[in-house]
Amino acid sequence: MPNTPTRQAAGHLLTLLQLTDSALPTGAFSHSLGLESYLSTRAVHDEASFTLWLEKFLSQSLAYTDGLTVRLAHEAAGGEKLARLDALVTAAAVPRQIREAGVKMGARMLHVATSVFPTPELEAYRLQVESGACSGHPGIAFALGAKGAGAPCADTVAAYLFSTITSLTQNAIRGIPIGQNAGQRVLRAMHAPVLAAVETIFTLDEEDLGAAAPGLEIAQMRHEHLRARMFMS
Amino acid sequence: MAPKMAEQPAIRELGPSPFEGTKIVGELRLQVGTRAGKAIATRQYHQGALRILRPHYLDDTAQVCYTIVNPGGGYLGGDNYGIEVSVDEDTSLLLTTQSATKVYKTPGTFARQDMVVRLGPGAVLEYVPDQLIAYRGASYRQYTRVDMHQDSSLLFCEVLTPGWSPDGKPFRYDEVRLRTEVSVGGKLAVLDNLLVRPGEDSLDSLLFLQDFTHVGMLLAIDAKIGASDVERIRELAYRIGEAQRTPVHLGISQVPGPGVAVRALSNSTEAINAVLMAVVDELRLHLRGQKPLNLRKY
Repeated sequence: MPNTPTRQAAGHLLTLLQLTDSALPTGAFSHSLGLESYLSTRAVHDEASFTLWLEKFLSQSLAYTDGLTVRLAHEAAGGEKLARLDALVTAAAVPRQIREAGVKMGARMLHVATSVFPTPELEAYRLQVESGACSGHPGIAFALGAKGAGAPCADTVAAYLFSTITSLTQNAIRGIPIGQNAGQRVLRAMHAPVLAAVETIFTLDEEDLGAAAPGLEIAQMRHEHLRARMFMS
Repeated sequence: MAPKMAEQPAIRELGPSPFEGTKIVGELRLQVGTRAGKAIATRQYHQGALRILRPHYLDDTAQVCYTIVNPGGGYLGGDNYGIEVSVDEDTSLLLTTQSATKVYKTPGTFARQDMVVRLGPGAVLEYVPDQLIAYRGASYRQYTRVDMHQDSSLLFCEVLTPGWSPDGKPFRYDEVRLRTEVSVGGKLAVLDNLLVRPGEDSLDSLLFLQDFTHVGMLLAIDAKIGASDVERIRELAYRIGEAQRTPVHLGISQVPGPGVAVRALSNSTEAINAVLMAVVDELRLHLRGQKPLNLRKY
Protein backbone atom coordinates (compact mmCIF):
# COMPACT_ATOMS: atom_id res chain seq x y z
CA MET A 1 0.00 0.00 0.00
CA PRO A 2 2.02 2.96 -1.20
CA ASN A 3 1.44 6.48 0.06
CA THR A 4 -0.40 5.31 3.17
CA PRO A 5 -0.07 8.12 5.71
CA THR A 6 1.42 7.00 8.96
CA ARG A 7 1.78 8.62 12.34
CA GLN A 8 4.66 6.30 13.09
CA ALA A 9 8.04 7.83 12.26
CA ALA A 10 10.63 5.20 11.42
CA GLY A 11 12.67 4.55 14.56
CA HIS A 12 15.86 4.13 12.58
CA LEU A 13 15.52 7.70 11.27
CA LEU A 14 16.30 9.15 14.69
CA THR A 15 19.27 6.83 15.13
CA LEU A 16 20.65 7.92 11.74
CA LEU A 17 20.07 11.60 12.59
CA GLN A 18 21.94 11.21 15.84
CA LEU A 19 24.85 9.22 14.36
CA THR A 20 25.25 11.67 11.47
CA ASP A 21 24.96 14.82 13.56
CA SER A 22 27.99 17.03 13.12
CA ALA A 23 28.09 17.42 16.91
CA LEU A 24 28.74 13.67 17.32
CA PRO A 25 32.09 13.53 19.12
CA THR A 26 34.11 11.59 16.51
CA GLY A 27 36.60 14.35 15.82
CA ALA A 28 35.59 14.58 12.13
CA PHE A 29 35.95 18.38 12.33
CA SER A 30 39.72 18.01 12.65
CA HIS A 31 40.21 15.87 9.51
CA SER A 32 40.27 17.29 5.98
CA LEU A 33 41.19 13.92 4.34
CA GLY A 34 43.57 15.64 1.92
CA LEU A 35 41.43 18.73 1.21
CA GLU A 36 43.85 21.01 3.08
CA SER A 37 46.65 20.19 0.60
CA TYR A 38 44.39 21.40 -2.24
CA LEU A 39 43.65 24.55 -0.20
CA SER A 40 47.36 25.20 0.25
CA THR A 41 48.01 25.06 -3.52
CA ARG A 42 44.83 27.11 -4.18
CA ALA A 43 43.51 24.30 -6.41
CA VAL A 44 40.45 24.62 -4.15
CA HIS A 45 39.83 28.29 -3.30
CA ASP A 46 36.11 29.13 -3.54
CA GLU A 47 32.60 27.68 -3.54
CA ALA A 48 32.78 26.49 -7.17
CA SER A 49 36.17 24.79 -6.95
CA PHE A 50 35.22 23.22 -3.60
CA THR A 51 31.94 21.88 -5.03
CA LEU A 52 33.83 20.28 -7.91
CA TRP A 53 36.49 18.80 -5.59
CA LEU A 54 33.88 17.45 -3.18
CA GLU A 55 31.88 15.77 -5.94
CA LYS A 56 35.06 14.06 -7.25
CA PHE A 57 36.13 13.11 -3.73
CA LEU A 58 32.73 11.53 -3.12
CA SER A 59 32.39 9.63 -6.39
CA GLN A 60 36.03 8.66 -6.96
CA SER A 61 37.31 8.05 -3.43
CA LEU A 62 34.80 8.06 -0.55
CA ALA A 63 32.45 5.66 -2.39
CA TYR A 64 35.26 3.09 -2.71
CA THR A 65 36.60 3.50 0.84
CA ASP A 66 34.15 4.35 3.63
CA GLY A 67 31.02 4.07 1.48
CA LEU A 68 31.69 0.50 0.39
CA THR A 69 32.87 -0.34 3.93
CA VAL A 70 29.52 0.78 5.38
CA ARG A 71 27.60 -1.36 2.87
CA LEU A 72 29.76 -4.46 3.40
CA ALA A 73 29.61 -4.06 7.20
CA HIS A 74 25.82 -3.73 7.05
CA GLU A 75 25.64 -6.92 4.95
CA ALA A 76 28.30 -8.86 6.87
CA ALA A 77 27.10 -11.92 8.71
CA GLY A 78 29.43 -12.64 11.58
CA GLY A 79 32.56 -11.39 13.28
CA GLU A 80 34.96 -13.11 10.88
CA LYS A 81 33.64 -11.19 7.87
CA LEU A 82 33.77 -7.94 9.87
CA ALA A 83 37.36 -8.65 10.93
CA ARG A 84 38.34 -9.20 7.28
CA LEU A 85 36.60 -5.95 6.28
CA ASP A 86 38.30 -4.07 9.13
CA ALA A 87 41.71 -5.39 8.03
CA LEU A 88 41.08 -4.53 4.36
CA VAL A 89 39.88 -0.98 4.91
CA THR A 90 42.73 -0.24 7.33
CA ALA A 91 45.38 -1.72 5.02
CA ALA A 92 43.91 0.19 2.07
CA ALA A 93 44.61 3.53 3.77
CA VAL A 94 48.12 3.88 2.35
CA PRO A 95 48.72 7.53 3.39
CA ARG A 96 49.67 7.40 7.09
CA GLN A 97 47.40 10.26 8.24
CA ILE A 98 44.35 8.70 6.56
CA ARG A 99 45.04 5.39 8.34
CA GLU A 100 45.43 7.21 11.66
CA ALA A 101 42.26 9.24 11.04
CA GLY A 102 40.32 5.98 10.48
CA VAL A 103 41.60 4.41 13.68
CA LYS A 104 40.97 7.56 15.77
CA MET A 105 37.48 8.24 14.43
CA GLY A 106 36.74 4.51 14.49
CA ALA A 107 37.44 4.32 18.23
CA ARG A 108 35.22 7.33 18.94
CA MET A 109 32.37 6.21 16.69
CA LEU A 110 32.54 2.76 18.28
CA HIS A 111 32.45 4.28 21.76
CA VAL A 112 29.39 6.40 20.94
CA ALA A 113 27.58 3.62 19.09
CA THR A 114 28.15 0.97 21.77
CA SER A 115 27.17 3.25 24.63
CA VAL A 116 24.08 4.74 22.95
CA PHE A 117 22.83 1.98 20.60
CA PRO A 118 24.29 -1.25 22.00
CA THR A 119 23.77 -4.44 19.98
CA PRO A 120 25.47 -7.84 20.30
CA GLU A 121 27.25 -7.25 16.95
CA LEU A 122 28.63 -3.88 18.06
CA GLU A 123 29.72 -5.36 21.37
CA ALA A 124 31.51 -8.21 19.56
CA TYR A 125 33.25 -5.70 17.26
CA ARG A 126 34.25 -3.57 20.28
CA LEU A 127 35.87 -6.64 21.87
CA GLN A 128 37.72 -7.41 18.61
CA VAL A 129 39.09 -3.84 18.58
CA GLU A 130 39.93 -3.96 22.29
CA SER A 131 41.89 -7.21 21.85
CA GLY A 132 43.82 -5.75 18.91
CA ALA A 133 42.34 -8.26 16.45
CA CYS A 134 40.71 -5.30 14.65
CA SER A 135 41.90 -1.71 14.18
CA GLY A 136 38.46 -0.11 14.35
CA HIS A 137 36.84 1.91 11.56
CA PRO A 138 34.07 4.54 11.83
CA GLY A 139 32.20 3.09 8.82
CA ILE A 140 31.91 -0.33 10.44
CA ALA A 141 30.81 1.02 13.84
CA PHE A 142 28.29 3.31 12.14
CA ALA A 143 26.88 0.52 9.97
CA LEU A 144 26.43 -1.81 12.95
CA GLY A 145 24.73 0.91 15.01
CA ALA A 146 22.37 1.80 12.16
CA LYS A 147 21.67 -1.83 11.34
CA GLY A 148 20.81 -2.50 15.00
CA ALA A 149 18.18 0.27 14.81
CA GLY A 150 16.65 -1.34 11.72
CA ALA A 151 17.99 1.15 9.14
CA PRO A 152 18.00 -0.30 5.62
CA CYS A 153 21.42 -0.68 4.02
CA ALA A 154 20.99 2.00 1.31
CA ASP A 155 19.78 4.60 3.87
CA THR A 156 22.71 3.74 6.12
CA VAL A 157 25.21 4.23 3.29
CA ALA A 158 23.58 7.49 2.10
CA ALA A 159 23.48 8.86 5.66
CA TYR A 160 27.14 8.05 6.25
CA LEU A 161 28.27 9.60 2.96
CA PHE A 162 26.25 12.75 3.57
CA SER A 163 27.61 13.06 7.09
CA THR A 164 31.22 12.93 5.80
CA ILE A 165 30.28 15.46 3.09
CA THR A 166 28.82 17.70 5.81
CA SER A 167 31.97 17.50 7.95
CA LEU A 168 34.18 18.33 4.97
CA THR A 169 31.92 21.26 4.06
CA GLN A 170 32.09 22.57 7.62
CA ASN A 171 35.87 22.30 7.38
CA ALA A 172 35.87 24.13 4.03
CA ILE A 173 33.74 26.93 5.52
CA ARG A 174 36.51 27.49 8.07
CA GLY A 175 39.45 26.58 5.86
CA ILE A 176 38.83 28.37 2.53
CA PRO A 177 36.87 30.26 3.99
CA ILE A 178 33.41 30.37 2.39
CA GLY A 179 30.16 31.61 3.95
CA GLN A 180 27.64 29.48 5.83
CA ASN A 181 25.06 30.02 3.06
CA ALA A 182 27.60 28.92 0.44
CA GLY A 183 28.16 25.80 2.55
CA GLN A 184 24.43 25.06 2.50
CA ARG A 185 24.36 25.46 -1.30
CA VAL A 186 27.24 23.00 -1.59
CA LEU A 187 25.40 20.49 0.61
CA ARG A 188 22.23 20.79 -1.46
CA ALA A 189 24.27 20.32 -4.64
CA MET A 190 25.63 17.06 -3.18
CA HIS A 191 22.21 15.37 -2.80
CA ALA A 192 22.19 13.90 -6.33
CA PRO A 193 25.87 12.89 -6.26
CA VAL A 194 25.36 11.13 -2.90
CA LEU A 195 22.41 9.14 -4.27
CA ALA A 196 24.42 8.31 -7.41
CA ALA A 197 27.33 7.18 -5.22
CA VAL A 198 25.00 4.88 -3.27
CA GLU A 199 23.91 3.28 -6.56
CA THR A 200 27.53 2.82 -7.59
CA ILE A 201 28.41 1.32 -4.21
CA PHE A 202 25.83 -1.42 -4.76
CA THR A 203 27.61 -2.42 -8.00
CA LEU A 204 31.01 -2.80 -6.29
CA ASP A 205 32.56 -5.77 -4.51
CA GLU A 206 35.41 -6.52 -2.11
CA GLU A 207 38.04 -6.18 -4.88
CA ASP A 208 37.04 -2.52 -5.28
CA LEU A 209 37.49 -1.71 -1.61
CA GLY A 210 40.00 1.07 -1.06
CA ALA A 211 40.52 1.88 -4.75
CA ALA A 212 42.57 5.06 -4.60
CA ALA A 213 43.22 7.92 -7.02
CA PRO A 214 46.95 8.77 -7.17
CA GLY A 215 46.51 12.58 -7.21
CA LEU A 216 44.38 12.46 -4.06
CA GLU A 217 46.78 10.07 -2.34
CA ILE A 218 49.70 12.39 -3.09
CA ALA A 219 47.73 15.28 -1.55
CA GLN A 220 47.01 13.14 1.52
CA MET A 221 50.68 12.13 1.80
CA ARG A 222 51.99 15.69 1.30
CA HIS A 223 49.71 16.87 4.10
CA GLU A 224 52.20 15.22 6.49
CA HIS A 225 54.66 18.07 5.95
CA LEU A 226 52.32 20.95 5.08
CA ARG A 227 53.15 24.19 6.87
CA ALA A 228 50.55 25.83 9.13
CA ARG A 229 48.05 22.98 9.23
CA MET A 230 44.52 23.50 10.58
CA PHE A 231 43.66 19.80 10.28
CA MET A 232 45.19 16.47 11.34
CA SER A 233 44.77 14.92 7.88
CA MET B 1 38.16 -31.23 -18.91
CA ALA B 2 40.72 -33.32 -20.80
CA PRO B 3 41.90 -30.53 -23.13
CA LYS B 4 42.67 -28.26 -20.19
CA MET B 5 44.78 -30.97 -18.60
CA ALA B 6 46.77 -31.18 -21.80
CA GLU B 7 47.30 -27.42 -21.85
CA GLN B 8 48.21 -27.17 -18.20
CA PRO B 9 49.99 -30.32 -17.14
CA ALA B 10 50.13 -30.75 -13.39
CA ILE B 11 53.57 -29.96 -12.06
CA ARG B 12 53.93 -31.88 -8.87
CA GLU B 13 57.03 -30.07 -7.64
CA LEU B 14 55.42 -26.62 -8.02
CA GLY B 15 52.16 -27.67 -6.39
CA PRO B 16 48.72 -26.83 -7.77
CA SER B 17 48.57 -23.81 -10.07
CA PRO B 18 47.06 -20.70 -8.45
CA PHE B 19 45.50 -20.00 -11.86
CA GLU B 20 43.68 -23.34 -12.09
CA GLY B 21 40.27 -22.91 -13.66
CA THR B 22 41.17 -19.65 -15.45
CA LYS B 23 41.64 -19.55 -19.19
CA ILE B 24 45.19 -18.28 -19.35
CA VAL B 25 46.90 -16.69 -22.37
CA GLY B 26 50.32 -16.77 -20.73
CA GLU B 27 51.46 -18.44 -17.54
CA LEU B 28 54.78 -18.33 -15.74
CA ARG B 29 55.69 -20.16 -12.54
CA LEU B 30 59.06 -19.72 -10.97
CA GLN B 31 60.64 -21.02 -7.80
CA VAL B 32 64.03 -19.60 -6.88
CA GLY B 33 66.38 -21.09 -4.30
CA THR B 34 70.07 -21.04 -3.51
CA ARG B 35 72.44 -23.61 -5.07
CA ALA B 36 76.22 -23.50 -4.59
CA GLY B 37 76.01 -20.04 -3.04
CA LYS B 38 74.04 -18.47 -5.92
CA ALA B 39 70.33 -17.88 -6.39
CA ILE B 40 68.87 -19.88 -9.27
CA ALA B 41 65.49 -21.16 -10.47
CA THR B 42 64.97 -24.57 -8.92
CA ARG B 43 61.64 -25.10 -10.67
CA GLN B 44 60.07 -23.28 -13.54
CA TYR B 45 57.18 -23.65 -15.89
CA HIS B 46 55.78 -21.50 -18.65
CA GLN B 47 53.12 -21.83 -21.24
CA GLY B 48 51.60 -19.56 -23.87
CA ALA B 49 52.59 -15.94 -24.19
CA LEU B 50 54.94 -15.63 -21.20
CA ARG B 51 58.49 -16.95 -20.78
CA ILE B 52 61.73 -16.02 -19.07
CA LEU B 53 65.25 -15.38 -20.31
CA ARG B 54 68.25 -17.20 -18.89
CA PRO B 55 69.47 -15.92 -15.50
CA HIS B 56 71.92 -13.05 -15.06
CA TYR B 57 74.02 -11.93 -12.11
CA LEU B 58 74.25 -8.15 -12.25
CA ASP B 59 76.61 -7.55 -9.34
CA ASP B 60 78.93 -9.45 -7.02
CA THR B 61 76.07 -10.68 -4.78
CA ALA B 62 74.24 -14.01 -5.04
CA GLN B 63 71.12 -12.23 -6.35
CA VAL B 64 69.77 -13.68 -9.58
CA CYS B 65 68.02 -11.57 -12.20
CA TYR B 66 65.28 -13.07 -14.37
CA THR B 67 63.66 -11.24 -17.25
CA ILE B 68 60.05 -11.88 -18.20
CA VAL B 69 59.32 -11.87 -21.94
CA ASN B 70 55.95 -11.54 -23.61
CA PRO B 71 56.49 -12.77 -27.17
CA GLY B 72 52.81 -12.11 -27.87
CA GLY B 73 53.56 -8.37 -27.95
CA GLY B 74 50.65 -6.98 -25.98
CA TYR B 75 47.59 -7.58 -23.86
CA LEU B 76 44.13 -7.61 -25.43
CA GLY B 77 40.62 -7.54 -23.96
CA GLY B 78 39.74 -10.74 -22.11
CA ASP B 79 43.38 -11.85 -21.93
CA ASN B 80 44.40 -13.37 -18.61
CA TYR B 81 48.04 -13.69 -17.60
CA GLY B 82 49.31 -15.52 -14.51
CA ILE B 83 52.68 -15.21 -12.81
CA GLU B 84 53.66 -17.15 -9.71
CA VAL B 85 56.95 -16.44 -7.95
CA SER B 86 58.32 -18.21 -4.87
CA VAL B 87 61.59 -17.13 -3.33
CA ASP B 88 63.14 -19.58 -0.86
CA GLU B 89 64.85 -18.80 2.42
CA ASP B 90 67.81 -16.37 2.23
CA THR B 91 67.53 -16.13 -1.56
CA SER B 92 67.44 -12.88 -3.54
CA LEU B 93 65.59 -12.41 -6.83
CA LEU B 94 65.44 -9.41 -9.13
CA LEU B 95 62.57 -9.71 -11.57
CA THR B 96 62.21 -7.43 -14.56
CA THR B 97 60.78 -7.40 -18.07
CA GLN B 98 62.39 -7.31 -21.50
CA SER B 99 60.27 -4.42 -22.71
CA ALA B 100 57.21 -2.36 -21.86
CA THR B 101 53.93 -4.19 -21.32
CA LYS B 102 51.41 -2.84 -23.80
CA VAL B 103 47.68 -2.96 -23.27
CA TYR B 104 45.73 -2.34 -26.47
CA LYS B 105 42.10 -1.44 -26.91
CA THR B 106 40.04 -3.91 -24.86
CA PRO B 107 36.48 -3.85 -26.19
CA GLY B 108 34.05 -5.85 -24.07
CA THR B 109 36.25 -6.73 -21.16
CA PHE B 110 39.52 -5.75 -19.52
CA ALA B 111 42.88 -7.50 -19.80
CA ARG B 112 44.05 -8.97 -16.53
CA GLN B 113 47.26 -10.14 -14.91
CA ASP B 114 47.38 -12.11 -11.67
CA MET B 115 50.61 -12.36 -9.77
CA VAL B 116 51.12 -14.55 -6.71
CA VAL B 117 54.30 -14.08 -4.69
CA ARG B 118 55.65 -16.03 -1.71
CA LEU B 119 58.77 -14.90 0.15
CA GLY B 120 60.45 -17.21 2.66
CA PRO B 121 62.47 -16.10 5.71
CA GLY B 122 65.32 -13.82 4.65
CA ALA B 123 64.12 -13.83 1.01
CA VAL B 124 64.35 -10.73 -1.16
CA LEU B 125 62.25 -9.86 -4.20
CA GLU B 126 62.84 -6.73 -6.25
CA TYR B 127 60.20 -6.40 -8.97
CA VAL B 128 61.25 -3.64 -11.35
CA PRO B 129 59.38 -4.01 -14.66
CA ASP B 130 59.44 -1.69 -17.66
CA GLN B 131 56.55 0.70 -17.90
CA LEU B 132 53.01 -0.36 -18.59
CA ILE B 133 51.62 1.40 -21.67
CA ALA B 134 47.85 1.67 -21.95
CA TYR B 135 46.43 2.71 -25.33
CA ARG B 136 43.15 4.40 -26.20
CA GLY B 137 40.19 2.31 -25.08
CA ALA B 138 42.39 0.11 -22.89
CA SER B 139 41.15 -1.33 -19.61
CA TYR B 140 43.56 -3.31 -17.48
CA ARG B 141 43.54 -4.90 -14.03
CA GLN B 142 46.58 -6.23 -12.28
CA TYR B 143 46.06 -8.22 -9.10
CA THR B 144 49.13 -9.01 -7.05
CA ARG B 145 49.06 -11.02 -3.84
CA VAL B 146 52.22 -11.19 -1.76
CA ASP B 147 52.66 -13.50 1.24
CA MET B 148 55.90 -12.65 2.92
CA HIS B 149 57.76 -13.74 6.04
CA GLN B 150 58.49 -11.06 8.67
CA ASP B 151 62.20 -11.30 7.84
CA SER B 152 61.82 -11.05 4.07
CA SER B 153 62.08 -7.97 1.89
CA LEU B 154 59.82 -6.75 -0.91
CA LEU B 155 60.30 -4.00 -3.44
CA PHE B 156 57.58 -3.51 -6.02
CA CYS B 157 57.26 -0.73 -8.57
CA GLU B 158 55.25 0.18 -11.63
CA VAL B 159 55.19 3.07 -14.07
CA LEU B 160 51.96 3.61 -15.98
CA THR B 161 52.06 5.65 -19.18
CA PRO B 162 49.55 6.46 -21.90
CA GLY B 163 50.13 5.25 -25.45
CA TRP B 164 50.81 8.06 -27.92
CA SER B 165 48.65 8.82 -30.93
CA PRO B 166 50.23 9.38 -34.38
CA ASP B 167 49.97 13.16 -33.90
CA GLY B 168 52.00 12.95 -30.69
CA LYS B 169 49.17 13.46 -28.18
CA PRO B 170 48.79 11.03 -25.28
CA PHE B 171 45.83 8.68 -25.59
CA ARG B 172 43.37 8.58 -22.74
CA TYR B 173 42.95 4.94 -21.80
CA ASP B 174 39.73 3.89 -20.06
CA GLU B 175 40.91 2.51 -16.74
CA VAL B 176 43.91 0.88 -15.09
CA ARG B 177 43.84 -0.80 -11.71
CA LEU B 178 46.93 -2.06 -9.93
CA ARG B 179 45.76 -3.90 -6.82
CA THR B 180 48.58 -5.13 -4.60
CA GLU B 181 47.76 -6.99 -1.39
CA VAL B 182 50.69 -7.67 0.92
CA SER B 183 50.46 -9.98 3.95
CA VAL B 184 53.36 -10.15 6.39
CA GLY B 185 53.53 -13.21 8.63
CA GLY B 186 50.01 -14.17 7.56
CA LYS B 187 48.54 -10.78 8.50
CA LEU B 188 47.30 -8.28 5.90
CA ALA B 189 49.61 -5.25 6.07
CA VAL B 190 49.05 -3.14 2.95
CA LEU B 191 46.36 -3.05 0.31
CA ASP B 192 47.66 -0.73 -2.39
CA ASN B 193 44.66 -0.45 -4.68
CA LEU B 194 45.62 2.11 -7.30
CA LEU B 195 42.84 3.17 -9.66
CA VAL B 196 43.35 5.52 -12.62
CA ARG B 197 40.55 6.76 -14.85
CA PRO B 198 41.97 9.59 -16.94
CA GLY B 199 38.48 10.77 -17.96
CA GLU B 200 37.82 13.33 -20.66
CA ASP B 201 39.80 16.29 -19.33
CA SER B 202 41.81 17.58 -16.38
CA LEU B 203 38.63 18.40 -14.42
CA ASP B 204 37.52 14.75 -14.66
CA SER B 205 41.02 13.85 -13.61
CA LEU B 206 41.37 16.28 -10.68
CA LEU B 207 42.04 13.46 -8.19
CA PHE B 208 43.59 10.95 -10.59
CA LEU B 209 46.19 12.62 -12.83
CA GLN B 210 45.51 16.37 -12.46
CA ASP B 211 47.33 17.80 -15.49
CA PHE B 212 49.83 14.96 -15.70
CA THR B 213 49.87 11.89 -17.93
CA HIS B 214 52.21 9.39 -16.22
CA VAL B 215 51.84 7.59 -12.86
CA GLY B 216 54.53 5.87 -10.82
CA MET B 217 54.24 3.75 -7.70
CA LEU B 218 56.73 2.05 -5.43
CA LEU B 219 56.04 -0.11 -2.42
CA ALA B 220 58.82 -1.43 -0.20
CA ILE B 221 58.16 -3.67 2.79
CA ASP B 222 61.04 -4.61 5.07
CA ALA B 223 61.26 -4.86 8.88
CA LYS B 224 64.31 -2.58 8.74
CA ILE B 225 62.43 0.40 7.21
CA GLY B 226 61.82 2.81 10.11
CA ALA B 227 60.17 6.23 10.36
CA SER B 228 63.52 8.04 9.96
CA ASP B 229 64.22 6.04 6.78
CA VAL B 230 60.89 7.19 5.38
CA GLU B 231 61.88 10.82 6.07
CA ARG B 232 65.26 10.30 4.38
CA ILE B 233 63.62 8.64 1.36
CA ARG B 234 61.15 11.51 1.13
CA GLU B 235 63.93 14.11 1.10
CA LEU B 236 65.90 12.12 -1.47
CA ALA B 237 62.87 11.61 -3.75
CA TYR B 238 61.90 15.31 -3.57
CA ARG B 239 65.50 16.33 -4.34
CA ILE B 240 65.79 14.00 -7.35
CA GLY B 241 62.30 15.02 -8.49
CA GLU B 242 63.22 18.72 -8.39
CA ALA B 243 66.36 18.03 -10.46
CA GLN B 244 64.31 16.68 -13.39
CA ARG B 245 63.59 18.82 -16.44
CA THR B 246 59.96 17.65 -16.37
CA PRO B 247 58.18 18.32 -13.05
CA VAL B 248 57.46 15.30 -10.84
CA HIS B 249 54.65 15.56 -8.27
CA LEU B 250 55.44 13.19 -5.38
CA GLY B 251 53.92 11.71 -2.26
CA ILE B 252 55.74 9.46 0.20
CA SER B 253 54.28 7.84 3.32
CA GLN B 254 55.06 5.17 5.88
CA VAL B 255 52.95 2.02 5.62
CA PRO B 256 52.44 -0.94 7.99
CA GLY B 257 54.66 -3.91 7.34
CA PRO B 258 56.66 -1.80 8.04
CA GLY B 259 57.55 -0.08 4.83
CA VAL B 260 57.24 2.92 2.57
CA ALA B 261 54.95 3.86 -0.33
CA VAL B 262 55.82 6.31 -3.10
CA ARG B 263 53.38 7.88 -5.58
CA ALA B 264 54.51 9.97 -8.53
CA LEU B 265 52.80 11.96 -11.27
CA SER B 266 54.65 13.47 -14.23
CA ASN B 267 54.61 13.84 -18.01
CA SER B 268 57.70 11.73 -18.51
CA THR B 269 58.64 8.11 -17.89
CA GLU B 270 62.31 9.09 -17.53
CA ALA B 271 61.56 11.67 -14.82
CA ILE B 272 59.47 9.19 -12.79
CA ASN B 273 62.07 6.46 -13.29
CA ALA B 274 64.85 8.76 -12.09
CA VAL B 275 62.98 9.26 -8.79
CA LEU B 276 61.93 5.62 -8.34
CA MET B 277 65.41 4.28 -9.17
CA ALA B 278 67.00 6.69 -6.68
CA VAL B 279 64.67 5.25 -4.01
CA VAL B 280 65.43 1.68 -5.14
CA ASP B 281 69.19 2.35 -4.87
CA GLU B 282 68.83 4.01 -1.46
CA LEU B 283 66.85 1.00 -0.18
CA ARG B 284 69.37 -1.50 -1.61
CA LEU B 285 72.23 0.33 0.07
CA HIS B 286 70.46 0.84 3.39
CA LEU B 287 68.89 -2.63 3.69
CA ARG B 288 71.59 -4.86 2.21
CA GLY B 289 74.66 -2.77 1.41
CA GLN B 290 73.99 -3.66 -2.23
CA LYS B 291 75.25 -1.57 -5.16
CA PRO B 292 72.90 0.56 -7.29
CA LEU B 293 70.68 -1.32 -9.71
CA ASN B 294 71.98 -1.46 -13.26
CA LEU B 295 69.69 -3.42 -15.55
CA ARG B 296 72.03 -2.89 -18.55
CA LYS B 297 69.06 -2.73 -20.84
CA TYR B 298 69.50 0.68 -22.36
